[in-house]
Amino acid sequence: MSHATNRECLIEAVGLERTYYRGETPVKALRGVDIQIEKGEFMAIMGPSGSGKSTMMNLLGCLDKPTAGQYRFDGVEINKLDDMELSRFRNRRVGFIFQSFNLINQLTVMENVELPLMYAGITREERRERARKLLDNVKLSHRLDHFPNELSGGENQRVAAARALVVNPDIILADEPTGNLDTKTGEEIMNLIAGLHEQGVTIVLVTHDVWVANWAERIIQMKDGKILQEFREKITADMLQL
Amino acid sequence: MDYREYLEIGYKSITQHKLRSFLTMLGVIFGVGAVIAMMSIAGGAQKAALEQIKLLGTNNIRVKQVELTGEQRDEAEFRGSMGLSLRDVNLIPQVVPGVEAVAPIKIFDVEIRHQDLKAPGRVVGTSTQYDEVVNFYPEEGRFISDLDVLEAKKVCILGVDIAKELFKLNNPIGEKVKIEENWYTVVGVMQTKAIRKDKSTVIEVRNMNRDVYIPISTMFNRLLSFEMYDNMNELAVRINNQDLVIPAAKILERMLLRTHKGIRDFEIVIPRQLLAQAQRTQQIFNVVMGAIAAISLLVGGIGIMNIMLATVTERIKEIGIRRAIGATERDIMLQFLNETVFISVSGGIIGIFMGALMAEVITRYAEWDTVISGIAIVSAFGISVLVGVVFGMYPAQKAARMDPIQALRSE
Ligand SMILES: Nc1ncnc2c1ncn2[C@@H]1O[C@H](COP(=O)(O)OP(=O)(O)OP(=O)(O)O)[C@@H](O)[C@H]1O
Ligand SMILES: [Mg+2]
Repeated sequence: MSHATNRECLIEAVGLERTYYRGETPVKALRGVDIQIEKGEFMAIMGPSGSGKSTMMNLLGCLDKPTAGQYRFDGVEINKLDDMELSRFRNRRVGFIFQSFNLINQLTVMENVELPLMYAGITREERRERARKLLDNVKLSHRLDHFPNELSGGENQRVAAARALVVNPDIILADEPTGNLDTKTGEEIMNLIAGLHEQGVTIVLVTHDVWVANWAERIIQMKDGKILQEFREKITADMLQL
Repeated sequence: MDYREYLEIGYKSITQHKLRSFLTMLGVIFGVGAVIAMMSIAGGAQKAALEQIKLLGTNNIRVKQVELTGEQRDEAEFRGSMGLSLRDVNLIPQVVPGVEAVAPIKIFDVEIRHQDLKAPGRVVGTSTQYDEVVNFYPEEGRFISDLDVLEAKKVCILGVDIAKELFKLNNPIGEKVKIEENWYTVVGVMQTKAIRKDKSTVIEVRNMNRDVYIPISTMFNRLLSFEMYDNMNELAVRINNQDLVIPAAKILERMLLRTHKGIRDFEIVIPRQLLAQAQRTQQIFNVVMGAIAAISLLVGGIGIMNIMLATVTERIKEIGIRRAIGATERDIMLQFLNETVFISVSGGIIGIFMGALMAEVITRYAEWDTVISGIAIVSAFGISVLVGVVFGMYPAQKAARMDPIQALRSE
């Protein structure tokens, strides 16, 4: 894992803020985050609960817009996009992996993986082929017609990974992908993600687990909606200021 | 995303909740059923009325003799009105524009005999042009000729029922039948005229299949006693142009009032106008049924909206997931809208069958004619699409406008 210095910039955020409203009371989930992520980089985000990690992921994945600050994704000013363009961005360029898998239970494994391609307007035949290939990559060829609730947690997360990857995104955003898994399946998933990184996919991963974070090239620690510190080497738990 | 995909999603979601979908559809099923039943009853009545009117002839004007009361009769005699007479028959084509032909009709109920068989029939004295005027021709043989009338020949043309009763399968032409004291040679047998016997008749039409036609002159000479002098039961007037029927009727009325010395001993019937009357009655029925249909469609639509709102709430997570992987607001909106339309159209299709069944039951037991037209089916289909769109719009918009992040966070 080399230090990335001369790679192209994929993500550039300056003074990112996100304020939610609970009724009248504002909740400042992000209070000015500056961050740059390069193409092909593997970054982990750590931080206590409520520090704004998921909020950050939503912004990075174009699922949400910042209340203040600038966000450029591959040179495109995200604030200026409308719903149609934003959705297109999420669809073609971003792959989400969630802690709770977020598969649609009424659809089969195959259909779940096909879904992003359907929104991309790709023909049925091509969809089938690509979904099958990705499910083959995550070793789930024998589960194509099963429903998510018939699978184990690890299998479900592999389906979710296949779904995230099926559109060949620029970036994979994984929010606590191992959070619901036991150590062994967690390791399986981390191997999968590391494999993607080796293929050149940009990865941002949120975790509470130091062991998981250490798979990344760069680790940032967040607190109260800000970036507290950044590491470019392996860390131990006591290096985190809690 | 092309439309097939939405259809598939709609289909899946319905088949996954069969009972709920069916219950949701009920309102639309009944609403559309009522629409179909209503339209088929209306269509049947319309058809019945039209057939009736065709029987009389759409280009026809009928002048019917009116029975006068004692006092009126004295007045008529005093003024010298002769009732509907052969003079009128001859005068009409000269005075009234557009008249193609006039046929007098004089009816006399009598028994017709052949060998030892008898049939209760109705002798109709008329002229050569009768068949053309009423558009009703002999199936075999010929109708009354000018010569028959001129020489008051003893010939007759049998209605098909009478012919069957007297001659069974034999050919009656050339045979003789006995009417009162005289023998008449059969020269023709009329076509079968479809007569409706159900309750929905607009105008009473006699069963022409029991008629026996003889020359009017023969009738006066042989059949009638002197006091039943030459007034007619009816005159049938055929006009050569549809648009002239109403104006011609007006002129005809004026002319007859003059020849009848101002006595209204006749009545003018225009089949065309009867049709309009029948349609007005039908409209009242349509309004009532329409109201019932509209109310059940409204209730049905609200029911669908209710269920769809519940569905949207139930599927917030799914909406969030779809948005995260690239669904636009429009995609979500179309998905739910499509699902609603799918439900309402399915209900509509079931409703069409139910309406057809209702119509069938009505025909069976109430003996009303019903006609299920293509228009009825197309509009029922259209209505159910409309119900789906109108009542699906709000839930679909609610789903589409949902904040994807909130949706994803929900459990
Ligand atoms: N949709 C929302 N509406 C209101 N407040 C929100 C919303 N989403 C997040 N918050 C608040 O913003 C803050 C940051 O939330 P966020 O989910 O980003 O934290 P997190 O770092 O991901 O925490 P965790 O480790 O528990 O997942 C929290 O205080 C949270 O309560
Ligand atoms: Mg979180």
